[in-house]
This record gives sequence, structure tokens and C-alpha cells, in this order.
Amino acid sequence: MSRLELYSPEGIRIDGRRFNELRQFTSQLNTHPNVSDGSSYVQQGNSKVICLVQGPMESLSNTNAGGASKLDHNGPILSININYPPFANNVRKKRMRNDRRLQELCVVLKRCFLKTIVSKNYARTVIEVNITVLSMDGGLLACCCNAITLALIDAGIALYDYVSAISIGLYNQIPLLDMNTLEENDLSFITIGVVGDSDKLNLVLCEDKLPLDNLEALISLGIEGCHRIKQLMDEQVRLVGTDLLSKKQ
Amino acid sequence: MTEQTLIIPGDDINISEPTSHMTLGPNILHNIENNNLIPTTSGFLNVQTKKNNTIYYIESNTKRYIPNVNDFVIGTVVGTISENYRVSLNDFSTTVLLNQLAFPNATKKNRPFLKTGDLIYARVLRSDPDLEVELDCIDPTTGKEGGFGLLNGGLNFNVKLAFARYLLFNSNAEILNKLVSKCQFEIAIGVNGKIWLKTDDLKTTIACMTSIQQSQNWSKSEISNKVDAIFKSSGL
Amino acid sequence: MARDFDISTNQSTFVLEALKQNIRLDGRKLLQMRDLDIHISPDEYGYVEVSLGKTKVACRVSSEITKPYEDRPFEGLFQIKSEISPICSPFFESGLTSNSKQSNDELLISRLIEKAIRRSGALDVESLCIIAGEKCWSVRADLQFLDYDGNFTDISCIAVIVALMHYRKPDLEIDGDDIVLFNVDQREPTPLSILHIPICITFQFYNPNGDVENVKGDSNDELILIDSTLLEEKISLGSMTLTLNKNKELCQMIKSGGLNIDASVIMNCCILANKLVDELTDKIQTLLKIDALSRKSGMERELQVVNDR
Repeated sequence: MSRLELYSPEGIRIDGRRFNELRQFTSQLNTHPNVSDGSSYVQQGNSKVICLVQGPMESLSNTNAGGASKLDHNGPILSININYPPFANNVRKKRMRNDRRLQELCVVLKRCFLKTIVSKNYARTVIEVNITVLSMDGGLLACCCNAITLALIDAGIALYDYVSAISIGLYNQIPLLDMNTLEENDLSFITIGVVGDSDKLNLVLCEDKLPLDNLEALISLGIEGCHRIKQLMDEQVRLVGTDLLSKKQ
Repeated sequence: MTEQTLIIPGDDINISEPTSHMTLGPNILHNIENNNLIPTTSGFLNVQTKKNNTIYYIESNTKRYIPNVNDFVIGTVVGTISENYRVSLNDFSTTVLLNQLAFPNATKKNRPFLKTGDLIYARVLRSDPDLEVELDCIDPTTGKEGGFGLLNGGLNFNVKLAFARYLLFNSNAEILNKLVSKCQFEIAIGVNGKIWLKTDDLKTTIACMTSIQQSQNWSKSEISNKVDAIFKSSGL
Repeated sequence: MARDFDISTNQSTFVLEALKQNIRLDGRKLLQMRDLDIHISPDEYGYVEVSLGKTKVACRVSSEITKPYEDRPFEGLFQIKSEISPICSPFFESGLTSNSKQSNDELLISRLIEKAIRRSGALDVESLCIIAGEKCWSVRADLQFLDYDGNFTDISCIAVIVALMHYRKPDLEIDGDDIVLFNVDQREPTPLSILHIPICITFQFYNPNGDVENVKGDSNDELILIDSTLLEEKISLGSMTLTLNKNKELCQMIKSGGLNIDASVIMNCCILANKLVDELTDKIQTLLKIDALSRKSGMERELQVVNDR
């Protein structure tokens, strides 16, 4: 397919991982305590994303969520913005503000979290989420989703459960977990988001052609990956939580 | 006595026997200069003679309801504004008001509590061009409930405006007579083209709804057989 | 102004109650589509009107010769224009702010068609090349949404792909640097090369026990239905769109939020969609075959004119 050997006969991927290994996942909470109500930093391999949450608040006149008249009586208005600066990629490329692909991701994420936030607690409020991509090496949607989950937790917004997301690619019948850019360019992949420790999917996005027969293998590997990420996020949240608690006493 | 002729704007309306007492209904203007009647819409001319009074009006089939005083309507509650409920009579049009006290025996302390999405049967109380349209749920002749108020359960659906008027004003409409012989049901007809229907059973409700909706396009002679067919196909 | 359909609680509870008993208001079963009606224009190429129940869209394919993009000299141009105008329903307004509900729907629909047909390579863009780096065909599909009663995604995908399959571009001859285009009467126009037929199937999900049950409970008894009407779409708690072709390839899949659905349920949906796609593909292909037979070639047309005289 290409000059690069994406998956060697010995079962080693281009960056030395096995098929079911995640990249290094590190996360931080409350990275921007002064400027936001909740913030997080997520790093998956070389993909780095910052997420800031403002809210829940009454309404902001300068948001594109609309004025007070548009407030929803049954739940919050969630507005998600992805900022993808030119330097985030290997190749410097300026993205328009109204890039259709990014807008679509925003809508997908928005709908995903509207069902995850305990919406009845936040009627007539606005929650604004801003994501800045510092560096992108594959798994844009997955990184953003994980970062939003952590930032919402940091902001103290009630969620039913964690939403953890991961991308899974397919190489000659073999599912590969957590793809990087090189793999994403050549292989088709799907991104799935899992709720907590269940097998329930909140988010599925697939943009490339994929044999239907392999879908099951991809999803089941993805769910395992998501559960692992959820564990890692949970550890981080508990770490920060105990730290906060110890300072209080 | 009723007779019908098709009228198109620009036509002259023949007044066969000019009487001193004449009432003009919707869609007809009186030209004072030459004492003519001018139709403003296309539709069927209805002439009704009652004692020494003749009523002229044009029955036309529009799609959008415009509130008129004393119309019976079905509306959906979409919100509250201070002392009033906001009620929608049409999709995508201006909402109208229903005072929270416009119910029989309602007081400040004791009044019906409506939620967003509730369905009500009401009467148009006021419809001024300069004011917001207002509804109430009191029968003006008795001061009692008179069938108005919250519609519980059941299903509401839309029909053409003219058809809704036909059903409401003709107590022996064929389709309803036929349905009466088929099953028991509660019905509320709003002239804003909405009908609410309730029976004991889901399937019956759906069969009734389908019959009423489709009977708009049936001729009178077909009704009986087609309703039978619908009930049969839904296993009733 | 109320800028939405007003759905009463009576309606939504009734519909949900009926769905629990496997009944829909129009008498269908949960996993049954409405009647698909495809009208192909009898006297021109590349114009179709497709309707599913009351939902109706039209698609027109046109082409012209332009210069290819510099970074892709061997590929022709292909674009799909899908703008939902208020023609089909006052629900869709023109010129909305970027965050309103309607424009979100519109964005998702247009992105979805784009991914399902363009990105999945349904149209072979390399076959549109005339002279590498110099001249190529630019094919454009314009979607018009005519009437809205739910399920725009599935129907618009069908409309675009049928229009593309039906379209014939004028035949041409390359003479050195010059291109000679032939009129439809002079030479039989050539069809576009369609590599596969993607078909979208949208599932709507409902939970009989409400929203919260879905997140907290363990039961997986979500109600699933396809080809929703407007009312069903409005009260749905989540949807998922699959795009498949007859070769059992998944071209695109999106489930944005909504109810959380168990992976096994999703796999069942896939199997079901696969069956439906097979049926629909067969239907489309037989329809196009019948249409092709009914059309007279250029020569025959000319003879017909002579005969008529």
C-alpha cells in the first residue's frame, strides 16, 4: 500500500506498539484555574489538546449561543468550539473558521455531551466549551471528547458517567487501537465513545470505507481501549480530588 | 336552505331577491357605490335564508388559521408569560394568550396548572388587529366549563381548515356518523384545523384518525365502505 | 414567533405508547420503510425526483469542462450542493446563525451526503480527466429539498446516487489540443463511471422508560425504527445513520450523541441495514434498466422525426 510498513509481520506497528496498545495517555485537570470554571489538558501520544469550560452561567452576550431569549427550559445550551491553529499539524495549514469538518465535529460532540450532562440540573443556562489543539497526531475527535469529559468534571458539572473515546483503524483485517497520523492517512478508521464501564456507545463516527464484517472486531477492541482510558482518567480525577481534599483540612 | 356555486374574485355575486335584511359573512365585501357584492377569495358561495334574513358568505379552503372571535380552537401550550399561558394554534405562527384565570371558577389561589406541551380546547375571546389574540376556556352562555379546558390523553392531528369547519358545524357529518357506528370515541374539533380524538384503544384511535384524515378526499358515497376497509385492515 | 413544530405531550406520549406495541401512526411496522417512489425525468439525463411518503427531494446533475486542481492533475471535479431552503418547511430558514438547531441539522445532512457519496468514492473522479492538468469534467449535483416529512438523509442520498447513475455526459473527441464535443443527437452520450452505490439508512432510537433509564439502567430494550416521519423524528431521543453498499462495505457511519446504545444493538442494526440496502439497490438498478430501455438512441430519435413527418 505504501512505502511505510504500518504493521510488520511480527505484529509491531510503525511506532513500536502492538495492535491493542494505547499511546501514552496523560492528563491534567484544572490547568487554567483563573480564566475558566473548568479546564483540562489531554495528551495522547503526540496529540495534545487543551479544553476550557465556562459555565454553567446565565448567558453570555458575546457567545454565538444566542441571547437570553434562546435559553432552553429543559436543559443547558452547550456551545462547543474547536480551535485548530495552523501550527498544530506537521504541515502548516491554515484552517478557515468555518471549516465544515470541524463544525461537524463540534455538533457531534455537542449532541454527545448534551445527553451525558444531567441536563435537568442546568435548565436555562449556557455552558461554553473551548478546545484548543496544540498538536495533532491522530485521534482529533477522541482527544477532544476525553478532554471535554475531564474539563466538565473539573468545572463541577454533573455528568451521568465518563465518556471516553478512542479511534480504531483497520489494517488487513487487523484492528489497530489509537491511531497516529501516519496510520490515519493510509487506513480507514472509526472513532467511538463509550459511556463509563458499560458497553454502551454514545458516539460513533466513521468517515471511510470499511468492510462491514470487520466492524464488530473494531468496536469490541475500541470498547476495551475506552475502558482503559476511562480508568486512566478516573485515576487522574481521584488524584486531583484527594489532593484538593488534603489541602482543605 | 343552502345552495353552492363556485366563485372566483372578479365574479359578480347575483342577489336573486334583494331583501332589506342581509348579512355578509367572511370573504365578501359590499360595494356601496353600485350596491354590488365583491368576492375577495375564490371558493363556494353559500346563501342561507332564515326567516326574513339572507346570509351570504364564501367558503374557501385556506391552510393557515387566522383567529376570529368565538371560534373554537385547539391549541398547544408552549410557555407562560406572567399571568398568561402562551398557546400555539398553528405551527410557525405567532402564539396567542390564554389568561390563567380564564377558566370557570378560577381564582388566584385555585386555578388549573398547565404544562408546556399540554393540549387545550378553547374559544377565541378577543382578536383585535392591534392587540394580542386572547383565548378563554369558559362557555360564555353558561359560565361553566362547557367542554373547554385541558384535553387529556388521546391524539391530536391536523386536517384542512374547511374540513374542520364542516365537521364542527354539521352535526350529521357522514364520516362522524359512520365512526359512531364503529366505535366509541371522544372528539374535539378546532376550526384551526386541529382535531383531538380519544378512544379506549390505540388501534381504534389510529383507525379513526386515518379515516377522518383520508375522508377529506373521499366522496360521500365512498365513506362507508372505505372506513370499513380501514378498520378491517387494522384488525378491528 | 414560534419557530418550531409544536408537538403536544398528547402526541408524543401516544406515539411512544404505540411504538411500544409495534404500531406506527401510518400503519407501518417499526422496521418498515415508506414506499419509495423514484421519478426519472423522461426527456433529459440526470434529473430525478424521489419521494418517501410525503418527504420529497429533487436532484439534478450537470457538468462542464474546467481546469483541474493543480495538486490533483489526474482528477476531475465533483461537488454536491445541498442547501435546505424554506421551500420544504418553514422549519428551515435561510441565513441562520451558526449555532441554531436547524443549521446544525442542515450541516450534518450535507456533510453526511458528502461523506457517503463523495468521500466514499462512489464517483470515479479519475475518469473525469480529459487532458491531465489541463482539462477535466466538473460534475455537480444540486439537491433541492421539496417537502419535509422526516428522513431527509436517506432520501437525499438515494436521489443523488440515482441522478449520478442516470446522468450522461456528452461524448467528446480529443484532437491534439482541441476538444470536440458532440451533441446528444450526434453521438450517444456516455454515462459516468459509478464504482459503487452507497445507500443511507437512518435509525431512530427511543427508550420506553425515559432518558435517565438509558444511562443508569442495564436493560437494552430501546425501540428502534427506520424511515421516521416528522413527528417521530421530533420526539426521537437519538439517531444513527449507516451508509452501506451492496458489497457489504460501510461507507460512513455517524451516531452523534443521543441515547447510549449497546454495541450488540448497533451490530444488529448493521445486519438489518445490509438487508435493506440490498433491496433498495436492486430496486434502483431495475428502475434504471427499465428507463434505459425506454429511451431511444439518437439515431432512432431522428428516424422517429422523419416518420412523424
